[in-house]
Amino acid sequence: MRAGSKGPDPRRRRRGDAVTPLAVAVAVLYAFPILYLAWRTLTLGGDVLAILSSPRTLVPLANSLRVAAATAVACAVVGTGLAWLVVRTDLPGRRWWRILLPLPLVVPSFVGATALLAAFGRGGLLPFVPRIEGFWGAFGVLTALSYPYVYVPVAARLSSTAPSLEEAARLLGRRPTGVVLRVVLPQVRGAIAAGTMLVFLYGLSDFGAVSLMRYDTITRAIFSARLFDPATSLTLGLLLALLALIVAGAERLVSPRRRPPARVGTGQVRYRLGRLAVPATGAVVGVVAVALAAPIAVFVAWVLRGSATVGAGFGGLGDGLGFLLRPTANSAIAAVVAGATATLVTLPVAYAAARGGGWAANAAAALVTHVFALPGLVVALAVVFWAIRAPGPLGYLYQTFPLLVLGYVLHFGAQAMRTTQAALAEVSRRYDEAGRTLGAGARRRFVAIELPLVVPGLLAGGGLVLLSTLKELPATLLLAPTGFETLATRIWGAAEDGFYAEVGITSLVLVGLSALLTWFLVLRHELRR
Amino acid sequence: MKRLVALLAASVLAAACSGGADTITVYSGRTENLVGPLLERFTAETGIDVEVRYGQSADLALLIDQEGDRSPADVFISQSPGATGFLAERGRLRPLGAEVLDLVPAPYRSRGGLWVGLSGRIRTLVYNTERVDPADLPASVFDLVDERYRGRLAVAPANGSFQDFVTVLRERYGDDVALEWLRGIAANDPQRYPKNTAIVQAVGRGDVDLGLVNHYYALRAKAEDPDLPVENYFFPDGDLGSLLIVTAAGVVSTTEEPDLAERLVRFLLDEEAQTFFAEQTFEYPLAAGVEPPAVLPPLASIEVATYDLDRLGGGLERTKELIDASGLEGP
Repeated sequence: MRAGSKGPDPRRRRRGDAVTPLAVAVAVLYAFPILYLAWRTLTLGGDVLAILSSPRTLVPLANSLRVAAATAVACAVVGTGLAWLVVRTDLPGRRWWRILLPLPLVVPSFVGATALLAAFGRGGLLPFVPRIEGFWGAFGVLTALSYPYVYVPVAARLSSTAPSLEEAARLLGRRPTGVVLRVVLPQVRGAIAAGTMLVFLYGLSDFGAVSLMRYDTITRAIFSARLFDPATSLTLGLLLALLALIVAGAERLVSPRRRPPARVGTGQVRYRLGRLAVPATGAVVGVVAVALAAPIAVFVAWVLRGSATVGAGFGGLGDGLGFLLRPTANSAIAAVVAGATATLVTLPVAYAAARGGGWAANAAAALVTHVFALPGLVVALAVVFWAIRAPGPLGYLYQTFPLLVLGYVLHFGAQAMRTTQAALAEVSRRYDEAGRTLGAGARRRFVAIELPLVVPGLLAGGGLVLLSTLKELPATLLLAPTGFETLATRIWGAAEDGFYAEVGITSLVLVGLSALLTWFLVLRHELRR
Repeated sequence: MKRLVALLAASVLAAACSGGADTITVYSGRTENLVGPLLERFTAETGIDVEVRYGQSADLALLIDQEGDRSPADVFISQSPGATGFLAERGRLRPLGAEVLDLVPAPYRSRGGLWVGLSGRIRTLVYNTERVDPADLPASVFDLVDERYRGRLAVAPANGSFQDFVTVLRERYGDDVALEWLRGIAANDPQRYPKNTAIVQAVGRGDVDLGLVNHYYALRAKAEDPDLPVENYFFPDGDLGSLLIVTAAGVVSTTEEPDLAERLVRFLLDEEAQTFFAEQTFEYPLAAGVEPPAVLPPLASIEVATYDLDRLGGGLERTKELIDASGLEGP
């Protein structure tokens, strides 16, 4: 470690510092939801202290924290394990697993929970497997649907680490487990931390899965009070936002500043599983069976049942799938644009936080991160609140496509930012120093050296935003141009009134579209190398 | 990819061009399956384009409230009177003309003339036919606090229709009786669910024996799965448990097209639309003399949930307070 990285070097500013003003400017955008919550809470004049100290707040809040923390830990283990197995071992069929494993993320949580409830237990597809509700049910569904938040960035990171250290360790006689623990894990721990934080925040924000699993959380209180007790609803929203801000800020303080001497390269070491191939395959199959195959089986069962029933009132299927063309196109475009925009917009924040690390950069990163803990409806209403008050021509953006994208970028920016930041943090500065020695300017060094090295991280972050956008509901319903339907809004509409065959067919199209998009836009580049 | 971009450009353009003459915007808490075909018929018959934003009734009511003067919405269609009542209370609905109001019998519209009922659903007790002997079903919704139903009843305290029921309970019997009933249910180990569809699925699987829901959901579930062992039970003799909850429509106060907006509301009360509700969505038609589906009890035997917000102390906020105080929802 160079002495210079311990404190500010008087002769040379850290590279990220130049970007910090831009990062702060971006972060200001991410302050709008919490400003909305604070403004509305104060002007409504509710008894904030009474609301905050009530057991009606504290009990669900404790439940939220409990299920979010447990899910985050489980996803860290499952996501990291899966990533290592498919990227760094000779696991049979690993190419296929790499396409399938990110997909549970695209299943809207209320559909995933409904499908898993219909899959297992008495009256389900598999009656002999017990149905679980309450804490463990919520924990199970959230883990099944959100482990990709860890898996995707860790897999991207693992596929871009240089083999040299691992080879050296093996030559020095380290056993494979030792190499993984001492050499591989330290290189990906930034990606694991980023993903785990995302799962935790997502667990706080979720309403669909926890409510269907009948586990009482703070989001239930926020939703149920939104119309007739707005003071409570907004105060609790503000509480959630502040908590998330503290957690996101604190993570920076406690995470180790010393970075591993990571290298980036291609041609990884691939471990032979040998006798472990069977249990390892079993573990991967198990995860995919619960998180993907079970919901898909239920979707298929719904479609078959509905189309076999005369007079089921299921308009769409009789006329073919044409009615889903437009929503499919809308979903694809919104998701691709949101993924790309979120990655670009949050890049300066990620860069400033990874390369500079001053308090302003860290605060900017925390602001971007915390929005992800808010329920989608709160973010959407915040955007409405400000957009409708926007002066002049900005006001015309209301309920247009750009505003919808802004809603997505605000809500999901954390996914791109944290993934990019983790990727950047693990690119050794020596490459940059080498470039400087050779006389390259700052911009050239970034474009020619650092950017190519973090492309897997950027793609992973953009891919997460893409998948999240595909399933997004509240912002789409409230902010999209009137009449702009996506697959997710179609699924919601059908589920709301019990048109399960339509839920099934639309969900199958959604999963198929996600597989295509992640393959073309994210995985193809990695797998080719 | 180019075609996708073209599609997108077309939809963005279409949105930008809306708001011109002969286009109205509807915020609909009824989903597309339950109202979309009618809106298409309206356009076909009148040449008036309809832009629809679907969403949950409560969320769309919040949206209109937040949009204030700049709301693009001309018509609000709600799945329950609660969300309409919220907008009426906040002065966001415009009084309808007499020629619209007169199409609907007085019990099914707002006393202030701010909204009309389009169709009706009744509250019912859905039960699992394999686990419950019909002879054991309660004669009144008040009997559900009995020991013999301990742990067997599913409720959705956050659901709009459940809250509408509580509001009418308050209006008919006073806040004390309403709170006592809520406390009785809360003390009887009820199974809490987030929504009606979840209750009917759970009753169908046998997770729980009985559930307080709207009649629509069991009929809908059986349309796709005739073997599902669920049945609606209608509380007899005009019991409040079989309350009729109307789905409603009103014209938003800031509309620039009040005539077109009223024309749409009138269309939804025509025989064609009312027949659609009776035949396609298993609901009670409320106008044009259309007969309800045969599976439902006659409308004359049923209590109706139109409450007078002016007379109802504390409004709908008070209903929420009582549910909170009873411990039926949350800790």
